[in-house]
Parts: sequence; structure tokens; C-alpha cells
Amino acid sequence: MNRWATGLWVGFLFSIPLWMTDQYYLHILIVAGIFIIAAMSLNLLLGYTGQLSLGHVAFFGIGGYTSALVSLGFDLELTDSYTFVFPAQPVWIAFLAGIVVAGFFGWLIGKISFKVRGAYFVIVTISFAEVVRLVALNWIDLTEGPMALNNIPPFTLGVPGLWELTFWRKIPNYYLVLVTCILSYVVIARLVGSRLGRAMIALRENEPLAASVGVDVTRSLVLAAVVSAAIAGAAGGLYTHYIRIIDPDVFLFIYTVTMVIMVVTGGKGTLAGPIVGGLIFGILPEALREVASPEMQWVIYGVLMILIVYFLPDGIVPAVSSWWKERFDAPPKTGEERA
Amino acid sequence: MSAAPRSREVVLDIDRLTIGFGGLVALANVSFDVYEGEIASLIGPNGAGKTTAFNAITGFLSVSGDSIRYRGKRLNGLRPNQIADLGVVRTFQKTSVFAANTVTDNIMIGLHRHAGARLWEILLARPRVRDEESRLRAQAGEILEMMGLSAHAEELGGALPYGEQRLLEVAVALAAKPTLLLLDEPVSGMNPSETARFMAMLGRIRAGGITILLVEHDMRMVMGVSDRVIVLNQGAIIAEGAPEEIQRNPEVIRAYLGHGADKRRASKREAGRA
Amino acid sequence: MDQFLQHLLNATMLGGTYALLGIGLTLIFGIMRVVNFTHGELYTFGAYMVFFFTMTLSANFFLALVFAMVLGIALGAAIEFVLLRRLRGASIDTTMLVMIGAWIAMQNTEQLAWTGVAKSVNHPFPIDPLVIGPVSVSWIRIFVFCVAIMLIVGTHLLIHRTRLGKAMRSTFQDRETAALMGVNINAIHTATFALGSGLAAAAGALLGPVFVLVPGMGDMAALKSFAIVILGGMGNFMGAALGGFLLALVEELGAGYISSGYRDGMGFLIIIVVLIFRPTGLFARAERIG
Repeated sequence: MNRWATGLWVGFLFSIPLWMTDQYYLHILIVAGIFIIAAMSLNLLLGYTGQLSLGHVAFFGIGGYTSALVSLGFDLELTDSYTFVFPAQPVWIAFLAGIVVAGFFGWLIGKISFKVRGAYFVIVTISFAEVVRLVALNWIDLTEGPMALNNIPPFTLGVPGLWELTFWRKIPNYYLVLVTCILSYVVIARLVGSRLGRAMIALRENEPLAASVGVDVTRSLVLAAVVSAAIAGAAGGLYTHYIRIIDPDVFLFIYTVTMVIMVVTGGKGTLAGPIVGGLIFGILPEALREVASPEMQWVIYGVLMILIVYFLPDGIVPAVSSWWKERFDAPPKTGEERA
Repeated sequence: MSAAPRSREVVLDIDRLTIGFGGLVALANVSFDVYEGEIASLIGPNGAGKTTAFNAITGFLSVSGDSIRYRGKRLNGLRPNQIADLGVVRTFQKTSVFAANTVTDNIMIGLHRHAGARLWEILLARPRVRDEESRLRAQAGEILEMMGLSAHAEELGGALPYGEQRLLEVAVALAAKPTLLLLDEPVSGMNPSETARFMAMLGRIRAGGITILLVEHDMRMVMGVSDRVIVLNQGAIIAEGAPEEIQRNPEVIRAYLGHGADKRRASKREAGRA
Repeated sequence: MDQFLQHLLNATMLGGTYALLGIGLTLIFGIMRVVNFTHGELYTFGAYMVFFFTMTLSANFFLALVFAMVLGIALGAAIEFVLLRRLRGASIDTTMLVMIGAWIAMQNTEQLAWTGVAKSVNHPFPIDPLVIGPVSVSWIRIFVFCVAIMLIVGTHLLIHRTRLGKAMRSTFQDRETAALMGVNINAIHTATFALGSGLAAAAGALLGPVFVLVPGMGDMAALKSFAIVILGGMGNFMGAALGGFLLALVEELGAGYISSGYRDGMGFLIIIVVLIFRPTGLFARAERIG
């Protein structure tokens, strides 16, 4: 995509709240945007380093819970006589804390991924997410368990006392998600286009060869995992302060599957893939609502995923871009799309 | 070819290297040296332990102890990328390129060690990053030029014809700027004219100050380019010397004939198995 | 001490079914290199089939168990034939994605078929437990344990004493050589997947009457199977059998002495710890697929 097309796209996205008056549609776009951010972060691991992380929702949930707890404040009874009291913090600080904590867990998983690979890595990541879910469910003193954390404050903008805008309504939240989305895209695009991203791609393509020319396997994987987890944590934070309630169900495996479907359908290892996949699977449920029950939708998703793997293994974006090239015979690109 | 350059400095020092796989001894007390600036060849029948030695030297096989030194530094226990940082870079027996990347990008990955942009600089798109990228791209162009691959620069690595892929492998290794280059059967599968071109290429690489250790089955090539030949059989060194000496050595002849091998078939089998 | 004995007994009873689950999964992984995410769904399928035959069709309980297992085998063969056969030689990630798709589709089909309301299966065993000194155990659990052990021994014999088992073992060791020796790899894969699925369905059919049935019950079963397989080392038959008992013991003790809320978490902790410190499994020295 050239600069003009990109500019046009971004302009279009910024204009949506101006003409789309139905708040419900805006809500769908906000949630889809949050999932797109999460899918983009998963794509960094799955698409660029080739590590199938199926516990990705853990980072999302950890970011969300951390952000919620920091903004609400909490106290922990450490011993009978001492209770640790953490006062409520502004939402922005909470949001950053969520990103940092999620990034830390990404670092842990990255370290592990060096030792356990392939099928083992997949199972470790699933287990990690399940352990985190069980902790969220059972550590009631901290997380309220299944009763959920309620009344989470929304984002605010401005200087306290002077002028403040609290993000109660859809429109500011839409822009917040859009800006975060663009930032995440830029971070990932710059990273994968750099020498560090080349190292990640090299690991995916041929790990022994990459190591033999001096690519540090551990460091590249850890870097990818940290950035990926931090972005997923940001998505979790956005979700929490938008929906304003979070419970352990946020860690359900089905959400990881949703992200995987988005990435695989759109095209893993492409920058646009998670966006295309995210839009499809963010909006499709609403389109199917009238005709199919949620279970039926999931059956359709499952079948769709199988069909995509069989018939469109690289996903929509590479298929469309190669069709485009053939059709219009554009000058050959330097392989940057699927680099 | 010149006689063994004994006067020169030892760069790679293998001292009593022993490797076993669950009761099976792959290498037993193997000692040999590689000298600065030479082309040394490691030959031997299938299963003699040549590739095992390569894997041990380059860290793909972890060996404890202190049996492998490069320019005085111990390589035992280091990971492949750390060994590459010391200047020891290898190629693989089975064709090994980054198939989904363009030829230029293959070289750019090879240049990884020679770029220093930090994460924050990359995320902030500092001018330094762009300068470094164009510097790398220019260097990649030079390497492709030297290897005669410029015409394929924008093709995918995996889409190249076989002979070109083998050249690309060497180009990727060269991009890492080794001081010792280990080549594992680089001409297997090449036709005679490609092999001849490759031999000329080796001379140029050596002229650039790179020491070369070669594993190869093509005896004509080995005898044609090597300063020194080291013969492994069943995990032990049975002969070492200038190519002419090796060709006359009765024990070497017996080792090869004993395996009933015509060498070509052997080389094919080993290449296929890798 | 009495309490400990009771935990030990419970763990043994549960361990038999866990071992079944683990063996089924480890066979499929070892021979086919497929991470079978539908394993838990076959478990669920087995349980619901028993429900269907006994409660809906009023069939005999024991007959229902046999039907459930046979149908599980058939379903497994169908999955292999339709989904996996064309993926031979594909990367393990590709097959994993397909299996995840199949898992999601199957689980929600079950949800559609049986609704989310929990169901229970009646069984012909006395309600009063058997009391032996300080401990007690229900009759149905004894029955489940015995059948599980019989199936484990049966599978072991199948692998070691039959031509099919021999072909499976040689495929496990070296697929290319086995193919050259005339082993029909396609048939072996179908048989393996069917057998593994049958064991999962049997585990579900056996545990269904002990617990209640919900369509999502397979998730925990699948994840526990993974834990067992990793404990035992992937592809390791005896390892999976021992791993099943070990997981049951760890869960039982964890639930008894730490917190029942973390009962299901034990398996995942085991996975993480074992993979980090001993990725070949605890029983790496034990025989592998025979």
C-alpha cells in the first residue's frame, strides 16, 4: 500500500463517528478494534517468529486485570497484622501498568519458549493461560473471583481540576481504540521491517541457519514475546476500561482461538492480515446474529478455519495481493508484504 | 598446491575431541589443527564423523570440556550465535536458505551481526536506522555481485535453481563476515562446470583473508583446492597431509575401498540422508 | 492418615480413566505427530452416547458403554479420513490449526445437540459405597476402574501381540522404513486415530455416570490428557499410564490439602514445570510405544 492509500484509509477511519450515528455500530467497531490490536500482537509471535502461542489471551487478561486493579486500588492481607493497601491510581497510570505487567509475563513465556518448542510450546502456553484463569477465579481477595471486578473507571483526558473529559461515551472510546490501533501497527511494522524483525523471520524460516550467522535465538524470541504481550496487555486495558467490568471468563481459551482465527484468515506474517481478519470476525457475529445462534456461529468459525487452512493456507491478504499483482501487473514488490 | 603451511599460526585447535551418542562413539580422541589462511579439507567415508565434527565446532552439538579452541578462545559450551560472533560460520550439508525471503533479504539476515540499531531507535524511526539499512543493502549488493547472484537479487531464495541456492548459502555465510568458514559438502549436486566455478570462488574467498575448512566427497575438488587434507575413518583420524601424500596413503585407500564405495554413490546417499 | 488413605484410593480409581485418556493421546502423537485437540470432544462424545442410549433409548447400561466406545472408534476413523489424511506431511502447526477448528466445531455441535443443561446418567450399581476399614469407595467407581484397567491391558496387548500393533510400532520408529517394508501408512494412521479416539470415548463413557454431563466437559479432559502425556513423555505408552495415576494423585492431594479450587490447576502446573525442567517427561527411560 502506498502513502496515499494509507492516508485515505486512516482518514476514513477517523471520519466514521462523524457520519455513523448509530451508537451500537460504533460499539461493534470499538470491540472489533480491541480484538484487532490483540490479533496484531498475536501475529507478531505466530506470523513473524512462527511460535504458535495459544495462551495469548492470558496477556490480554493480565493487562486488563492489572489495569482494573491499579485504577480501583486494592488491599491484600499479607499477614494477620499487616495489610498491604494499594491506593487507586489514575487510569492512564493503570493502563501503563497493565502493559508493563503483561510485558513481564511475555518475557517469562519468551524465556520458556527457548527451551520448549513446537507442540510443547503450544501446550505450555495453553496451560499458562489456564493457570492464570484459575488464579483469577480463586484468588478472591484480590480479583473478587467469579463475582468480577465492577465499576472500573473509564479513561479520562485533561488536567484534573482544570478541564477533564471522561470517556463515558462511545466516540472518545472509538478514537482511543483507533489511536492505539495505529500506534500498535506502527510499532509492529517498524519492528518487523528492521534488523530485529528480520532476525525473527529468519528464525521462522530456518532456525539453524539463522543461528549459524549469529542471530541470537533466545533474545529474538524474548523480544517478540515481550512486545507482543505488552500490546496484548494494552488491548486488555482498553477493553477493561471500556466495558468497565472484568471477570475470569476473559481468560477463556475461546478468545485465543478467536485471535488465531483472525490472524490465520487474514494472513499470518502480513501486516494487514490481522486487520482484515479482525474486521471480518469482529463484524461477522453481528451479521450472523439474526440467522444463527452463538453455538452455530462457533461451528461455522471452526469449519471456516479448517477450510482456510486447506484452501487458503496463507490467508486472504497474500492471496488478494498476488491476485492483484497478476491482474494489474504492478511492478514486482520487494517481498515486503510477506517478508 | 603449496605444502602445508606449518609456519603459520594455528587458528582452530581441536584437541582430543570425543563425542558419543548413547554408546556409539562418533568421534574418539580426534585432534587436528587448522592454520591461518589455508584451505583444509576433512574427508572420510560415510559415518566417519565429519558432520559431527562440524556440529561440535559450531555449537550445534554441545560438547563439554575444553577440546575446541578458536584463536585461543574456548568454543565448548557456546551457542552457535556466540560462535558466529567469534568469526566461525558454517554452511549446511542439506541446502539451507531462507526460502520465503528474497535473495537480498537472505544476505541482509546474514549481515545481522553487523548492524547495531537498538529497539528504541527502530521504534522511533531514528535517521540512523535508515542510514544503517541502506548501508546494509549496499553491502548485500556487493556480496551478491561477488557471488554472481545480482541478477537474482529480488527472487525468493527458495525459488532459485539448485546451483544458485548453494551459492546463496555461501553468500549468506560470507555476509556474517567469518574469519573461519566451514563448508559442508558445498558442491554436492553441482555439475562439473558449476563445481569448477565454485573452486575458483573458494580461491577468491581465501584471498579475502578467510580460512576455510571443507567437508567434501568430490575428490577432484578436494585434491584441487586443499592445502591440507585430514582423513577421518570411524571416528578417528587415519591420515593428514598434503593432497599428493593422501592420494598415495595405503590406509586411506583401504578405508575407502573397505567400504566398497565408489565415492559418488556414497556422497549421494549421505547428501540424501542429511 | 485415614484421610490420606482415602485420597490414595480416590486417586487410584480416577487414575485408571486418566491413564486411558493419556494413552489414547500419546499413541496419536507418537505415531502420527498430531496434537489432537479433538481428544476432549471424543471424551464428551462417549459420555453423551451413554446418556443417549441409556436415558433416551433405555438401552442396557453395559451395552451402552460398548456402543459408545464403538461409535467413538468410528468417529475417530472418520476424523482421520476426512481431515487428517490430506494433511500428511504438513507442518505440525498446520495440523494443529485444523484440529483446533475441528474441536471448536465439535464442541458447539454438542452444545446444539444436548443444550447446555447438565445431564446425569443412571447406572445399575448400588448407591451405598463399599466400606473397607477407614476408607470407602462407590461401586460404580470400582467398576470404572476395572474396565479401565482391562482396556489398558487390552491396548497394550494389541500393540505388542498383533500384526497391527507391530506395524504401529514400526511406523512410530521410522515411518519411511516402515512404508518401504510394506506397511500401509494410511491404514495405520486411521487405525491409530480410531484407537486413540475409542479410548477417549471409553473414558468419557466410564466417567459420564460418575460425574454430570455438560458439553464443555471435554476441555478439561483434553488439557488433562496433555498434562498426562507430557508427564509420561510424548509417545510413551507406559509413561502415559503411569502419568495418568500420577496426575490423579497430585490433583487429589492438591485438592485435599491445598485448595479444591486449584484442583484442575495442578495438571497445568505439572505441564509447565515438567516441560521446563525435564522436557522428555518423567519416564523417559521407560519403553516407548511398546
